[in-house]
This record gives sequence, C-alpha cells and structure tokens, in this order.
Amino acid sequence: MDVITQGQSWLPIAFAGLLGLSILLYVVLDGYDLGVGILTGALGAGEDAAHKDRMIASIGPFWDANETWLVLAVGLLLVAFPFAQGVVLGALYLPVALMLLGLILRGVAFDFRAKAVDGHRIWWDRAFFAGSTLAALTQGYMLGLYIVGFERTAVNVAFSLLTAVSLVAGYAFIGASWLILKAEGDLQRRAVRWARGTLWLVALGFVAVSIVTPLMSERIFAKWFELPWIVLLAPLPATAAAIFVVLHLALKALPTRTDRFSWVPFAGAIALFALGFYGLAYSFFPYVVPERMTIWEAAAADASLMIMLVGACLVLPMILGYTALSYWIFKGKAGALRYD
Amino acid sequence: MMDALLLSRIQFGANITFHILFPTITIALGWVLLFFKLRFNATGDESWMDAYRFFVKVFALSFALGVVSGITMSFQFGTNWPGFMETVGNVAGPLLAYEILTAFFLEATFLGIMLFGFRKVPNWLHTLATVLVAFGTTMSAFWILVLNSWMHTPAGYEVIDGVVHATDWWAIVFNPSMPYRLAHMLLASGLTAAFLVAGLSAWRWLRGDRSGGVRVALRTGVVLAAGLIPLQILAGDMHGLNTLEHQPAKVAAMEGNWETRGNVPLVLFAVPDEEARENRLEIAIPNGASLILKHDPAGVVPGLNDFVAEDGTVKHPPVAPVFYAFRIMVGVGFLMLAVSWATGWRLWKRGEPGTVLAWTLVAMTFSGWVATIAGWYVTEIGRQPWLVTGVLTTAEAVTRTAGAGMVWTSLAMYLAIYVVLLAAYVGTLYHLAGKATVAATGRAAKTDPIAQGGERLAASASA
Repeated sequence: MDVITQGQSWLPIAFAGLLGLSILLYVVLDGYDLGVGILTGALGAGEDAAHKDRMIASIGPFWDANETWLVLAVGLLLVAFPFAQGVVLGALYLPVALMLLGLILRGVAFDFRAKAVDGHRIWWDRAFFAGSTLAALTQGYMLGLYIVGFERTAVNVAFSLLTAVSLVAGYAFIGASWLILKAEGDLQRRAVRWARGTLWLVALGFVAVSIVTPLMSERIFAKWFELPWIVLLAPLPATAAAIFVVLHLALKALPTRTDRFSWVPFAGAIALFALGFYGLAYSFFPYVVPERMTIWEAAAADASLMIMLVGACLVLPMILGYTALSYWIFKGKAGALRYD
Repeated sequence: MMDALLLSRIQFGANITFHILFPTITIALGWVLLFFKLRFNATGDESWMDAYRFFVKVFALSFALGVVSGITMSFQFGTNWPGFMETVGNVAGPLLAYEILTAFFLEATFLGIMLFGFRKVPNWLHTLATVLVAFGTTMSAFWILVLNSWMHTPAGYEVIDGVVHATDWWAIVFNPSMPYRLAHMLLASGLTAAFLVAGLSAWRWLRGDRSGGVRVALRTGVVLAAGLIPLQILAGDMHGLNTLEHQPAKVAAMEGNWETRGNVPLVLFAVPDEEARENRLEIAIPNGASLILKHDPAGVVPGLNDFVAEDGTVKHPPVAPVFYAFRIMVGVGFLMLAVSWATGWRLWKRGEPGTVLAWTLVAMTFSGWVATIAGWYVTEIGRQPWLVTGVLTTAEAVTRTAGAGMVWTSLAMYLAIYVVLLAAYVGTLYHLAGKATVAATGRAAKTDPIAQGGERLAASASA
C-alpha cells in the first residue's frame, strides 16, 4: 500500500479512482449516445427519416442520465481536487465552452425535434448532429491537450486534432455497436457498415496515443518500458490487438439471421474504451495536472473528502441499481418513443 | 474595455438567469404532474390523464433545457471562478457532490421511465417514477439552496491559512438564512408552475378548447396560485427580516434608505442616486419601512451610509439594481395575488374564467419567471462585493488564466444560443398548446398559430 500512497493519505487515491470511474462510465455511456447523434449525419431524407427516429428512440430514455456522469466527473474534479480544477479547466477554456455549446444544442434538439413546428424539425435534426459531433471533437481535442500537458505547440495541436477525430470515430463506433444491438433490419445492416468504417480510425487513434504518451515525459517512458512497471502494462497492447481482431471478424459475420452475437461489438467497444482509459490512468498517476500537480497536492481536506466518500459509498450502489433497472425496462430492440 | 472579472460576472449572471427559468418550472411542475396522476388513479377520469399528457411534454422540454444549462454552470466554476473552490471547496464541495449523487442521477434516470415507460411498466411503478422525479428536483433545490444560503450567511467553518475548513456540518446545512431562502424559492417555483399551467390552459380555453383536460388544469393552476401567494408574501417578509439581521446592507439597498434612523418611510418609487447618496423623485409612505422591518413606526432601520469606510470605499452593494429588482418582484407578487384570487372567485361562482381574466392569465403565463429572476437579482447583487459574505470577494475568485478576449468569445456565444433557445421554448409551448387544442376540438386551426405571431393571434382569438 505504501508504494502507492507514498506515506500520504489514501483518500485522494480513492477520489482519483472515483473520478476515473465516472469519466470511464461517461465516455462509454454518453459515448454511445453521442455516437448515435454523429451517425444521424450519415442519413438523408425520405426513408432515412424513419431510421433517424428509431436511432434517436434507442437513446431516448438514457441520454439524460448518461450525461449526468459528466456532471459527476467535473463535480469530482471541482470538489476533490480544488487546486487542480482551475488549472485544468482554465487551460481548456475555449474547448470547454465549445463542448458545452455542443451538449446544449444536442440536448435540447432531442426534445425540440419531436415537439416543434414541423418545418423547424430539419434544423433541430441538424443541431442534434452538429452538437453531438462538436461535443465529441472538443472532448477528443481536450484529451490530446491533456496528454501533452496543455502546451500548444504546432505539433501538439496537430496531435490534439488527431485525438479529436479519433474520439469522434470512437464514439461513432460505439454508437454503431449500440445500434447493432438495439436495431433490426436495414438499420442494423447499416450500423454494421458504420462500425466497420470507423473501427480502423479507432485503431489509428489507439496507436497514436500509445506512441505519443510515453514520449511526453521520462517518468511515463520509464513506466512503459522499464522493469518492474512494464509488467503492469505489457498485457495492454496484446489484449487491445486481440479485441480489434475479434471485432473485425465479428463485424464481417454480422448481422446474423438469429441476431445472436449482436452484443459482441458493443461489449468489444466497452472493453477497448476501458483498456485505453486504463493505459492513460496508469501513465499519468499520481498526477492530476500532468507532470505538475499530484493528486495529493490538489486534494481538498481529508475531513471533507471523508464526508463525500461516505455519501458516495452509500449512494453509488443505488445509482448503479436503478440505472440497471432502467436498462432492463427498456431492454430489447428499440421501439418508437411514446409518452402514453 | 471590460475586464475578465466584469465579463465573467455578466457571463455567470446570464447563465444562471437562463438556467433558473427551467428548474423553477420543473421543481413544482413535477409535483403538479404527480397530482394529476394521483387524481387519475383515484377517479379514473380521463381529464386528469389528458392534463398529465399535455404538461408532461412541457415538463420534458423544460427539464432538457434545465439540464444542459446546468452543466454549463458547473464547468464555469472551474473555468471562470477557480478561487471559489480553492477557498471554500471544503464546504461547497460536499454540498455539490451530494446534490449530484442524491438528486441528479435520480431525476435523470427515472425521467426516462416516467416519459417513455408508461406502457412498459406497471402503473404503480410509473407513479413511483413520477414521485422520484419530483423528489429529485426538490432535493436538487435543497442542496443548491443550502450552498447558496451558506454563501450569504456562512456558519460552521474556520479559516486556516486562507482556506475554509468545515467544523460543524449541521451548522453549515442549517445556516441562518437557509430555511427562509429554501421556503421562498420552493414557493416561487410553485407560483411559476401554477401561472404557467393556468396561462397555457387559459390560452387553450380562449381558442375554444372546453375539454376536460383544460378545465382541470386551469382550475388546478388557479387554485394553486391563489393558495400559494399569501404564503409567499408571508415567507418573503420573514426572509426579509432574516436578511435585515444578517445582511443589513442588502436591506438598506432594497429600501433605498441612506441614513440609519427611525421613522423610515416605505419608498414606493424613487431614482436612487449613488453619487449624491440620496433618492430623487421619491414617492413614499411615512413610517412604512420602520413598520414592516421593526413592527414599530419609530423603529431604527440601518442605512447605506453606515457601509462606507472612512476613506470613502463603498462596502454596500450597488443600490439601483437591488432597489428596482425588489420593486419588480413585489409588484408582480401583488399582481399574482389579485389575478389568482379574482379568477379563483370567478371559477367558483361561474365555473369559467371569462374572456378578460383568461387573457390576463395568458399575459401572466411567465410572470413567475419575472418575479423569480427579480428576486434572485435582489439577493445576489445584494451580496456584493462578497461572493461568500466576509470570507471571499467576487474579485478574489475570478480566473487569472482566461483573458478578457476569451471570456468575450464565450459570453457572446452563450448569449446568442440563449436568445434562440428561449424564443424556441416559448414558441414551442404555444405550438404544443395549439396542437392539443386542435386535437381536442376536432377542427383544424385556420392557419399555423406560430406563423401568425402573437398580436395577430390575439386579435383573431378575441374576435
């Protein structure tokens, strides 16, 4: 234990874990519904309009709760690491503002498109697509900037633009995987094509991040390539490569006649996101601001962290419980959205 | 050229003004929907379910706008006001964390079941989902008002090396202004929802919709408003007395009272002049303020000049905005009293509102917004120059990373999107009401009501 805590309080580690968990859950959960939003851009008018309704119906009961994980993540950053929040969010000022614009647009477009005057509907559909894409782009851009320690050199910005596009592809991929699970017939076949088309971009993003991250500091380089640390990391690329192969093969075979294995792409996508996230968390721990501020330097007082941890331990299992209830109620193929 | 401080204040003010519009509706509308649902469960009368089905759409739209504008604010703590969490994070942090954990997930998850699960779950579970959504919105209001009240009247803390540490959570949660502020805000939400329900129903009634859903919703809205407004006046008065005790400078600005003295008049209207430190064009009721605040015509009421340092530094809030906003809030409150009681009386005697009162209700559909925002301006501008009274000034908390140019960019973007969304929201509510009326009366509207614009619509409906 002392190896990890370095003789300091364990509470900041617990909160780093909680923060990591909510970011991962956010990226997976809002990832698929942002991805569905991005994919609506691939549809035209006419028969496609029915597909669009069905796609949006598949995320209708969930998107709001999915987005709450982002609120929890930023909340945990604010409240558990008050001395890091200003540095991180200040350095990301404009991308954060643009991400919020994207999230606002898509969140309200979801409701307006079903309720507004018919002639306005096409604009809300465009806002839904544009907002989803903008949110994904800016999140990916912020991920890149975080990895390079917020230094905006030309190379770093180019790298961040690559992570931005990769995250859009990643969200589109998990969104397509979600649709393979929740849709039928023509829409499901299209979702398989979308998943095939985005998978290689996701792989490219993985490779790029894996090359750049260890180059960012000697400390991370050592963690990746020196004993004994390398033991903790070595299974990662091998597992990721195996998942990519499985996904590639599964997408060739899908959709199957009996709809067996329609869950495979979504499960694979979750595993990929989790692996990528683990790799980054492993690299940057114990820093919350890369190479500048550790979680202990940034943390709130132990007494306040304790109060929150007690609440989190009591409430998080309940949240997971009723989230599961909601997914169970709306299980199976997505139908039309109805209020009555 | 404005600096990052002023721009960040305008930006946060704009965001929170836009945000509060929607929770103010949903906090109480959730309970109104539960009422509709329970009445339907008890009576089996489809009218209640019609009312539920119409207003659940209003609720869903308002909720979505509240969620997205709320996310914006949580990020702005970090992007624009890093000093806030750095200084008071040990108190504010747990309160915000509890809001997210106990309220946000609950309402967001069960909203999905409440909206789209009607045919998928048993009726009791759907009713329970409605209860939990309403409960979640109220819990969220509770935690955020605890934090806001603590910022006004901090308690239960100590300062070590410039950082606030919690010493007594009971004192923090039940800080001196919390019970009054919470009651005042929950009642404000009730009134906002009541006038929204009454206003939209009156509009449908004027369009010739005499369906059961309109009838029960109109009655519910009017009765709720008539019942809540006296309570609100009482709660507001008590909140004012509490503020007098803990933030006398704010009350001095609200009353436009410059000198500490007895027999202070109640200023109905004036133009406060901070340069000359006096009121111009004053219309006042003698001894009024002393009577209200001290329950004694000779009672001594603190004046603004007590809050000016020897060197001339002003330590009270800007007077004019607090003074005017207070009068707008109180004015709308008394208008609410008159309209809700008159309509309630008429509904009781004749069973219908009549054209004039119906139009008045339509005009007052969003009156709750006006009063709520005015009230928040009174209390929040009235706290200046403090962000947390006696602990942290607003200027100390502002970003040192983001420059004025960046804040300008984000501010312009937010303002543009808020104007568009507000117009779309109001337009869509009337569009939904129009569609419901067409469905209920079985005749198509001659032309699209939204395309006609408000004034021509008014002319055609009253003709």
